[in-house]
Amino acid sequence: MTTSVSTKSEVKQSTGAIITVERLIKRYKDGTEALKNLTFEVQPGELYGLVGPDGAGKTTALKILAGIMEPTSGKIAVLNSRPSQARRYIGYVPQGAALYPELSVDENLRYEAGMHGVAKKDFEQLRQTYLKDMGLLQFADRLAGQLSGGMKQKLALCCALVTQPKVIFLDEPTTGLDPIARRELWQALAVLGAQGVTAVVATPFLDEAERCHRVALIYDGAVHEIGTPSELKKALGLKRLEIAIKNDRKSIKELAGLSFEHSENIVDICPFGDHLEALCKDASRGREEIGIALSKANIDVVNINETPPNLENVFITRLKSLTKKNVRNVPFEGLRESHDAHLAGVPLKAANLTKRFGKFTAVDNVNLELHHGEIFGLLGANGAGKTTTIKMLCRLLTPSSGTVTLLGDSSNSRSREIRKKIGYMSQKFTLYDNLTVRENLEFYAGIYEIPFEVRQRQINWVVDACDLEEIKNSLVKNLPLGWKQRIAFGAAVMHDPEIIFLDEPTAGVDPLARRQLWRLIREFADRGAVILVTTHYLDEAEFCNRMAFMASSRIVAQGSPQELKAMPEGELFEIKSDNNQAAFQALSEALEHWRVSIFGSNLHVILDNSKTDLEHVNSILESAGIVVESTRPIEFSLEDAFIDVVQHQGKRKASRRSILRGDDHE
Amino acid sequence: MNKVMVQANKEWCELRRDRFSLALAFLLPLFSLFLFGYGIRLESKNIPIVVRDMNNTLLSREYVDRLYATNLFKPAPLRAETATPSDAIKSGDAKMAITIPKDFTRQIYRGNSAQPEVLIDGTDISNTQIIFNSIKAANLYYLAMLKDERMPDAAVQWVKPHLRLLFNPGREETLFIVPGAFGVILWMFPALLGAVAASREKEQETIIRVYSANPHPLQFLLGKALVYFAISLAMALLIAVAGLLLFGIKPVGDPTPLLVATPLYIFVSVSFGLMLGTWANSQTTAVQATSTLGFFPCLLLSGFVYPISNIPFPLSLFSLIVPARYYIELTRDAFVRGCGWPAVWYVPLVLAAFAVVLIGISWLGLRRMQLKD
Repeated sequence: MTTSVSTKSEVKQSTGAIITVERLIKRYKDGTEALKNLTFEVQPGELYGLVGPDGAGKTTALKILAGIMEPTSGKIAVLNSRPSQARRYIGYVPQGAALYPELSVDENLRYEAGMHGVAKKDFEQLRQTYLKDMGLLQFADRLAGQLSGGMKQKLALCCALVTQPKVIFLDEPTTGLDPIARRELWQALAVLGAQGVTAVVATPFLDEAERCHRVALIYDGAVHEIGTPSELKKALGLKRLEIAIKNDRKSIKELAGLSFEHSENIVDICPFGDHLEALCKDASRGREEIGIALSKANIDVVNINETPPNLENVFITRLKSLTKKNVRNVPFEGLRESHDAHLAGVPLKAANLTKRFGKFTAVDNVNLELHHGEIFGLLGANGAGKTTTIKMLCRLLTPSSGTVTLLGDSSNSRSREIRKKIGYMSQKFTLYDNLTVRENLEFYAGIYEIPFEVRQRQINWVVDACDLEEIKNSLVKNLPLGWKQRIAFGAAVMHDPEIIFLDEPTAGVDPLARRQLWRLIREFADRGAVILVTTHYLDEAEFCNRMAFMASSRIVAQGSPQELKAMPEGELFEIKSDNNQAAFQALSEALEHWRVSIFGSNLHVILDNSKTDLEHVNSILESAGIVVESTRPIEFSLEDAFIDVVQHQGKRKASRRSILRGDDHE
Repeated sequence: MNKVMVQANKEWCELRRDRFSLALAFLLPLFSLFLFGYGIRLESKNIPIVVRDMNNTLLSREYVDRLYATNLFKPAPLRAETATPSDAIKSGDAKMAITIPKDFTRQIYRGNSAQPEVLIDGTDISNTQIIFNSIKAANLYYLAMLKDERMPDAAVQWVKPHLRLLFNPGREETLFIVPGAFGVILWMFPALLGAVAASREKEQETIIRVYSANPHPLQFLLGKALVYFAISLAMALLIAVAGLLLFGIKPVGDPTPLLVATPLYIFVSVSFGLMLGTWANSQTTAVQATSTLGFFPCLLLSGFVYPISNIPFPLSLFSLIVPARYYIELTRDAFVRGCGWPAVWYVPLVLAAFAVVLIGISWLGLRRMQLKD
């Protein structure tokens, strides 16, 4: 397989496809139809994304493709044979990695290789190559159960690759990974094509789908749209406006009331933490309409920028037209008087909060002040100390030093009164698998002592607001992850708490459901509640009014989304060339490795000084015989900002201002 | 064969690190042996009784002494409110009450039958049986003594010494229990090991890995069985040594039936566990199923505690498919009877048939190496 294949997405399919799926149907024994009509083709060397909401059929499709499940009907060919016959050449990375926790990294690899009949002499070399590529070589003896989430996924990828597959299927490989691990994994996937491996990745994250050559949008068991990310965005035919507003709590509350339902021009509008995002058919008309509406609502506009829409915009717009059913907005009836959202006072305050476990300091001198009506994000990599901080803030864990003040009470007691005012959604589900959705909710209503008269009302609200009507009598264990998250959220807030802690509430939730969840979170903030959210998923941190980045037990940066996005030094460029893989090779050899990443058929490069460095980059590419088709500056995302702050800030300040590799000590 | 070894090697690595399974393999079997060897006694001792000797002569006192000489009985405290024999039993103070009539001695001298009145607590069935037999035996012994020492011409000739075995305490009982316990232990723990190992793959969802590697189902099953078979052989050796040291149990006669049947039996046991493990979706289910389906039939229907002849009709058919039944027959022969091959030739054949059937069922369940709908 040569490297040139990767960008040829415009090649018409049907010739030489490595995977062909035609009218695939899968009906389970209990009658549910997971796949209704799945049709797509994958070309050799492609990195192909399957994107869709929870329960769309992604996992079922991958299981059938990997040959471990039989379809009900339809045509399917992997490497020109039935998948179950082609298993020798298929690598499969199941959801959650599914490694043997009692086996070491090496033993896991050896088992996988042995079962696939990899010769002993080949194994040693393959093992060395892949463990080194994934940065796992020094952990070869560690038990898989003791690896971090990111390392587990990388090991699972190694396990699949060590069998020398021609095709590899990955099922949500980045769910639960932090931004850094996510990036590293995608860097590993991006070069598979050059090694002659075709990869199909199912993911609920749209920013990841941008890195694929082609993407198939799956909804309700059928493919609805296929194309390269740029094709899909072009086909959307909409302009995106980003409206930055003055970040005070009053104007944010007003935002929730804005509606453009009558506008023919504005298709979608979404309020984020400190800005609005609107999709419209005509940009200048959009500016006008929004300007009028905002001035009517007395909201100060800082500026309005037109930015290219992303895949998430595509996805949400398409899904909205597919689901038809408008997401209901069910008003919440509280158990207490709604506070004025901008009430004075600091309901949640942490001063010099520290937690040590033996010699290890899990949380180091953390200071936070949260206000009524505020959504505050606590962001950080795995093991940065987010969950420990949350546990101390809601008094499940006693701090080693420092104080937590909740609603004026700094006694560090977990009295019944305080408990009733706190809502906590923990990372692991606290739902009972063998109870139905309703029974779970009834149980929590009892735990939080919701008065009998209103119990049913509150439960009905959760069922309506979280869209659980159809599944309210199903057992929780049979539900997809995203639904469980919604139920857990409902259970945590139905007693109308004044302080709400949400520990990774949207892990595994698709964009549409995520938006709905954030709308609910917003609603609680507008009722004057304080909301503290942790998340791995930086795109959605945009929904927060303020946030803090945590790294190695400390808070390293704090501010609004706009402020944080302005933090990274340097500039980000998108480079489109005639041979993306070769360009990546050339640049990553010449520059520090973190500066270059593959996004589908483009490269993203971080430069310190656009004038001099861009010339340098061009000359590198030129001498490698690569023709640059276009170069344009793009904005840093929150994820870029996060990675910059956490990983590179310290390093870069120490080193001199050159982007050449080897200039700083790694 | 190569993949069988790959699978076996993986199982071995996992087992080494899994304390629960290691305990299952070595500590719990020993513990069970103690429990069975020391704990289970079919005979009783110190059964409280009440004696009312209305006659109170030399002969009647000798009769009472004869009863106590069985070492089974002890006098129950006679309180004011338990004055009558039936009261003593009702209140639970005594399991048995014997009343010797006033004319006891006179009737004996006349050559008529003297009739002590015996009341037995019938609620405890095994005790009842023991008391019943003991009284009968003590009675016989007494008559024999009477004949020898005082009245050589006494007209009581029906002394039959064949009941005397019941007076043998201790040793015979261990001989009965411990070889049976080998059968129970070697049924229980290898099966649990197999069940845990197979169901763990499903619980951890690593079964997906196995499916996508697509080995032959037999390679997968035999690879797993191999490790637990080897571990269980070590377990068998361990409890055999413990049996020798603690209870002095050793094979009598030809040991080859035991040497042939034990590995077979262990293989059947592991296969039984694997079968339940591949069927169950979680380790908990697998362990529960193995305990219920394995342990109870093995304990109750194998002849370990209750003689097979005592099992009522429909259940007696079920006991035919309890492998422990055949193996326990063989161990009892190997450790107690010593008849060897002529008595137990069929046992290895039956066990081999069980192994084929159990592995076959697991194979059927896995034959496509794919997820079920």
